[in-house]
Amino acid sequence: MLRTCLPGILLVATLAVVGAVEGNTPPADPLAAVIDTAISARLQDAGVQPAETLDDERFLRRLMLDLAGRVPTLAEREAFLGDASPDKRAAWVDRLLELPDFALHLRNELDLLLLARLTSDNEWREYLLEGTRANRGWDDLFREIMLPERLREGEKGPAAFLRERVRDLDDLTNDTAVLFFGVNIGCAKCHDHPLVPDWEQQHYYGMASFFQRTYRTKKGLLAERFDGRLKFKTVVGDELEAEFMFLNGTAAYEPPVELSDERRKELDEQVRKAQREDDAEPPRPEFSPRAELVRMALDPSGPDYFSRNMVNRTWARLVGQGFVEPLDQMHSENPPSHPELLETLASDFASSGYDLKRLIRGIVLSETYARDSRLSGRREAPAADLFAVALPRPLTPRQLSASLQVATAMPERMQGLIAGEAWESERDSLENRADSFAKQIEIPGENFQVSVDEALLFTNSERVASDYLRDAGDRLVRHLKSLDGDETVATVAMQAVLSRTPTAEEQARISEYLATRSVRRLEAIQQIVWALIASPEFRFNH
Amino acid sequence: MKRKAWCGSAEHPVSRRGFLGAAAAGTAFAADMTVLDGLKQQALAAELKRQQKRVILLWLAGGASQLETWDPKPGAETGGPFRAIQTTVPGLEISELLPKQSQRMRQTAVIRSLNTKIADHGGGYRLMETGRLPEPGVAFPHLGAIIARELGRIDSHVPDHVSMYTSTEGRRKGTAGFLGARYNPMFLTENMMPENIRRLESISQVDHQDRAALRDFFAEKFSRSVDSAAVASHGSAYERVRGLMASDRLFDISEEPQAMREKYGPTQFGEQCLIARRLVEAGVPFVKVARAWWDSHGQNFETHRELCADLDHCMSALMDDLGDRGLLENTLVITLGEFGRTPRINGSLGRDHFASAWSCSLTGCGIKGGAVYGKTDEKGATVVDGEIGAADLFATIFTALGIDYEKEYMLGSRPIPISDFGSSPVEDVLA
Repeated sequence: MLRTCLPGILLVATLAVVGAVEGNTPPADPLAAVIDTAISARLQDAGVQPAETLDDERFLRRLMLDLAGRVPTLAEREAFLGDASPDKRAAWVDRLLELPDFALHLRNELDLLLLARLTSDNEWREYLLEGTRANRGWDDLFREIMLPERLREGEKGPAAFLRERVRDLDDLTNDTAVLFFGVNIGCAKCHDHPLVPDWEQQHYYGMASFFQRTYRTKKGLLAERFDGRLKFKTVVGDELEAEFMFLNGTAAYEPPVELSDERRKELDEQVRKAQREDDAEPPRPEFSPRAELVRMALDPSGPDYFSRNMVNRTWARLVGQGFVEPLDQMHSENPPSHPELLETLASDFASSGYDLKRLIRGIVLSETYARDSRLSGRREAPAADLFAVALPRPLTPRQLSASLQVATAMPERMQGLIAGEAWESERDSLENRADSFAKQIEIPGENFQVSVDEALLFTNSERVASDYLRDAGDRLVRHLKSLDGDETVATVAMQAVLSRTPTAEEQARISEYLATRSVRRLEAIQQIVWALIASPEFRFNH
Repeated sequence: MKRKAWCGSAEHPVSRRGFLGAAAAGTAFAADMTVLDGLKQQALAAELKRQQKRVILLWLAGGASQLETWDPKPGAETGGPFRAIQTTVPGLEISELLPKQSQRMRQTAVIRSLNTKIADHGGGYRLMETGRLPEPGVAFPHLGAIIARELGRIDSHVPDHVSMYTSTEGRRKGTAGFLGARYNPMFLTENMMPENIRRLESISQVDHQDRAALRDFFAEKFSRSVDSAAVASHGSAYERVRGLMASDRLFDISEEPQAMREKYGPTQFGEQCLIARRLVEAGVPFVKVARAWWDSHGQNFETHRELCADLDHCMSALMDDLGDRGLLENTLVITLGEFGRTPRINGSLGRDHFASAWSCSLTGCGIKGGAVYGKTDEKGATVVDGEIGAADLFATIFTALGIDYEKEYMLGSRPIPISDFGSSPVEDVLA
């Protein structure tokens, strides 16, 4: 198959190119090299010159937001800028991948992907965190999320995905298809998809069949019934029985089970009990449709929706747009911008044991990832799917609130916490403190807009004033107040909040602001910090 | 003034007809050539006219009984204890629980033939707020968000979608869904002043202003350097802050003369209706005032005696006030809940959820007053004439406001009409 031999070819070609250009320096990451070769090829075809590579301070901010879910501290910034080693970006990526922040942030991202705001479930979040901490394979997590009843006694965490949707078969069907396979088959519920020949009604009901027997037990676990087949009506009125059919059109075979009427009644009664009583054990059928779904989704011989979806979503998360866009429209009528690259990355992802860390490392070490978001002198932006210029990405609610806490904290104290033994639990509690603020912020999605509510919240809420701008020993404002010289205040404020050094113009403007308010310096400093945290440069990852 | 209008472009014949039409109607503007430019832009003129239209939705949360409001069945075994009363519209009778409304039916149309099929609160609410069944993976915008998008102005200094709900039961905000957070409602819950709309006392007016200017300074260069609609939306959200803060007085009914406040009455619903009037008068396109809790599974008649009195009084005060100010011809008042209530009276003297044959009312802008549309059987159990669903009601609302009900939003490559496929407006209630 083409798909399986492709990586080798591309890799060899890339290694040769990189070696020739850079002398003897090996590429920072083989995946990164594959990415850059493929992206450059299309840029060349299109005759588009990509944006410059980001300078160190801007690169660090982007990298920290993506890997740690927060902006860098002043100390982290200084350490990075002061590091003179030639391969420091790769070294820092590796270091960041091992920080507690990485697992926490990846956990948040997976939580956002799979549960969004359906619920805030501590057991679920704890389950995901164990997974990201140990860098468990995405297939493992998928398997457990789909088959939570097979887990150890008392483990309810992974059940949350199904539990939150089990009341509605369409939700289970659609969300699973969209979130795990990048495919929206909702249109095919009532008729074969009018625009996409890939999706027929039988696919919709085929997917729904995998969940139709699922029910929630009184204990909040998930179990499956013994029988039952989904029927559906076609537009011409024929009634058909759905097969257990995966998206690629192959169906699972259900072995016939002979049950006496008595036995069947007995089992039905057990199911009813499990739905009603805390201590009733749900009976376990031989044939599990959901287990079939998992098996078929991970079957290496079929088109790999599972890997391509995660690669596409991870790429979109880190670069701002998917190879396939919208992310849930993976089908023949909507080809990827870089088909071979997507296949290569997906195939590498699968063969690496669905290693998210490896995938993320590859992406963030690419030249493509490190491009500037600013259009220098260009009047019109090149097509987004060329990835010639970085796309500004709104921070997620948790990225924003964690960054606010870090940026407006007393720098030394924050660094002490980060460097300390207990940082993981400190970071966790920082997240919890930030949680209710995060709930007031819009979750980024297609056509994202900053809400007026958010602007009003930042402008007039007591909470922003007291949490981020107060004059207290653990706050940035107190630190800035203690500094001598308006220029120093300007520099430290900008570096702490926006992670960069002010321009001369900004320096002058801040100095002037302070100078004309010398009788109320504290308020002036608070206003400067406010103006920075309410700026789009802080609000976006760029 | 440019005169390039007469250039033979495709709009030309239309413009000319528009001009001649206006001249024939005897307008005094014909001599003034500057008006020609205005008239040639018929589409623009229609747009401007449309943008002056407003909606107030009186949301009867929990589901009011059609039998105790717009579709009484006195004498029927399902009819309950209340009488029907004659209204100022010959032949039109409504429940005696709405005596003030009975005197104002010349401006109101009643629809008695809603069959919306979904009779649970969540499902009924979703249907009646979006005009269609939910689809996983698509976040449909609520009525208020669509109206905000269609009738609101980008540069408006007032909110374009306000939702008031101070009761604890079934608190529903209403979201913009795929239209984006720009059209989310300003939501009033705990009190009648929107959150964060007033300046904190700890910062002076001058500092507040200077601080905003400093923020704009930091924002400007960054926003200019990147090409991103999302980044631009950050700017427009902050741009709206000052205007919105200035609109805080709209929520402050102490600015109203005492006599006016007395007309609406001291109830929460009354005060919110008064705020709604202040808002639409200032140009807010959509205001929802939710009144709870009509879910009368027990003691239906006592519940309705009390709630209908409040509704009757407040709705009438609102209609009078809008009428006196000349706002009613531009303001559509919709009185609606998620469903109606069963004709069958249960053992607790209650009526249960019922979506098969129920009623709503439309008043004002674009509506033929005194019209009655649809009919239920003598028990009120089924619709026997003119059955419509939620999407048809939405199509009717849009048409009354001059909005093309078949207009489509594109969600990726998928067209989504503002009222669901297959719907059509109820022409009989449209002016």
